[in-house]
Amino acid sequence: MTSARRVLWIYLLTGIAVFTLMMLLGIAMRAEQARWVAFGPQIFYAMLTLHGGGMITSVALCGMGGLWYLMRREGELSARAALAAYALVVLGVVAVLLSVFPGGFAAGWTFLYPLPFVGATWASWATGTFLIGIMLVSLGWTAWCFQILAFTLTRYGGWGGASGWNLVFKRDAEPHAVPPPQSIAAFVVAVDGILTGMAGMTIGTALIAHWLSPSVLIDPLWAKNVTFFFGHAFANLTIYMALGWVYVGMARYTGREYHTTKILAIAWWATLIFVAVAYFHHLYMDFVQYRPLQYVGEIASYLSAIPATAVSVWGSMLLVYRSRMRWTLGSIFLFTGLIGWVVGGIGALLDASIPLNFDLHNTLWVPAHFHTYLLGGVFLFALGLIYMQLEERSGRCSPPLLRWVVGLTTFGGMAVFLLGFYVAGANGVPRRYALEPSPGPLTASWATVGALLLLLGLLVVLIEAIRLARLPAENPA
Amino acid sequence: MAKGPLVLPVFLVLAAAAMAVMLLVALSTRLSPLPYSQVQPNGYKLRRWWFVILSVGLVAIFAVTLPWFPYPPLRAAAHAAKNDTLYVKITAQQYGFTMPSVLPLDRRIVFEVTSLDVNHGFGIYDPRGQIVAQVQAMPDYVNHLPVTFTRAGRYTVRCLEYCGIGHASMQGGFDVR
Ligand code: HEM
Ligand SMILES: [Cu+2]
Repeated sequence: MTSARRVLWIYLLTGIAVFTLMMLLGIAMRAEQARWVAFGPQIFYAMLTLHGGGMITSVALCGMGGLWYLMRREGELSARAALAAYALVVLGVVAVLLSVFPGGFAAGWTFLYPLPFVGATWASWATGTFLIGIMLVSLGWTAWCFQILAFTLTRYGGWGGASGWNLVFKRDAEPHAVPPPQSIAAFVVAVDGILTGMAGMTIGTALIAHWLSPSVLIDPLWAKNVTFFFGHAFANLTIYMALGWVYVGMARYTGREYHTTKILAIAWWATLIFVAVAYFHHLYMDFVQYRPLQYVGEIASYLSAIPATAVSVWGSMLLVYRSRMRWTLGSIFLFTGLIGWVVGGIGALLDASIPLNFDLHNTLWVPAHFHTYLLGGVFLFALGLIYMQLEERSGRCSPPLLRWVVGLTTFGGMAVFLLGFYVAGANGVPRRYALEPSPGPLTASWATVGALLLLLGLLVVLIEAIRLARLPAENPA
Repeated sequence: MAKGPLVLPVFLVLAAAAMAVMLLVALSTRLSPLPYSQVQPNGYKLRRWWFVILSVGLVAIFAVTLPWFPYPPLRAAAHAAKNDTLYVKITAQQYGFTMPSVLPLDRRIVFEVTSLDVNHGFGIYDPRGQIVAQVQAMPDYVNHLPVTFTRAGRYTVRCLEYCGIGHASMQGGFDVR
């Protein structure tokens, strides 16, 4: 294995390991809400805290490895730097893990000030350890973003080249200097990612200052803005990172070529801005927030649908339409991931409408839509990347019967699991309730059945992946 | 008033439509393949329409729905102008609310919502169990939430922002008559 592949697999396998653990916590939480088991609120909220942060980090790790690997194919990138970023993130994950189990930290992965410090049922060291963990994850993430940004800048001739500016505005842009679509994506993710990482370290530093010296006071509205900017953009960027290999994969499976066009570059500039300002929708119900920001939040959330559907999804659909598509598990995961992204996006657009948000804010509608594009989108993209690698290496793919089994259990289970959230959310069941009011427990029991079916499907996916990985390499790299 | 139950069918219809289109695209790979040079120009033409419809549509929805935004008028003078308004203080604290037990029907109420400790949410559920209004309860800030109750009965208040281990048990209620 080349060192580039090794880096890819270290990231991917760690991401999947973290995902697996967090999935078990997710099922346990849903079973608690269904009243099948009773861990009690202390454990429930500890699990919620860990699941939220852990899951986002797990797909971020897959994204970082995947996009780094794609960039590595474009030019020289230091594997050491990538592993250093990885080590920081993993250290952060370990710190967060320790703060929650055994530390008992349960202020939520959104750790809204002053909750980590008020009415805490956990020891002060757990709060500190959690905050240090957040700082380490942010630091590792920022380091990765700087590496990617520096790479795109040197590889494609500075800001004008890497951003696609020269392509859009200069007639004489040299064709070899035009970044491929995944590199435009990488550039945008890196720029937004640096802002995100800075925000994470800013709020982390502020809270650590308060932790060390409680006389340091923080404005709760400021803290909310910075925290949600960090959390929203970090989660959002996991999707945009994955698009890098969705472009590459769709082109490969359809045998068609996907080039950077002016429209694609402009769409990514729009995304750069929307990722940074859409987070205001998390503060819709803070009526004291400066009013124009609420409008900016709604418009940015709405308009982010344009680059997403008109460019990324549209472009992928055109590649597939009446092509010689090879339908393997890899391409099926990439394609269904696009469906999950769009469907979750529809749920998000409804929730981003302020009059509707008035009735949906902090109900289960919120986990409903984000699980649709994180579980049914980003996570499937990650599986798509993994299978794409395995299929390419072995020159084989999975038999049709197995594809049907995986399809029915994985996608069927996912749909049932997600519908439980949607139905409950539309009926006003609050999110983050260990004990839910009606019809919460009923929808939670359907959802738990769905999640167990999904677990079963993913077990098959895992076993099949191991089988493919053990086949002799036909295309060793 | 409660829009929640309406959202679900709208979502399901839109989601089904999107899925149907994408599945049709997937199924098209069973037909005889076309060269990409033939697919691309038509696809780009169609995309122009999608771009226009989506942009205009989304901006129009924003503009048209502005009157339904739940925010109070920006200027205090506008508040005072509605002289029949009843101002009601709500204080949230881990894990309960301080509030009156009876409120009037068909009268404009402005809740002045704040918190003594962490962030909470002040979510009002009507007698049928649907959310009809909510606002955040923040320490150091007061949020003004205008509401007019048009249905008599027992309303439940639930905390709608995670506020600690007792979050799910943080509720209260009032009668509207
Ligand atoms: C694998 C199946 C999964 C299950 C069974 C599951 C289950 C759950 C449950 C029960 C909740 C709590 C909902 C509530 O009452 O508010 C939750 C919250 C959450 N989940 Fe998942 N989940 C899964 C996958 C994922 C994935 C793939 C991601 C992201 C990549 C994710 C990210 C989150 C986040 C960010 C929260 C919010 C935590 C919070 O409210 O602070 N989950 N999940
Ligand atoms: Cu609460």
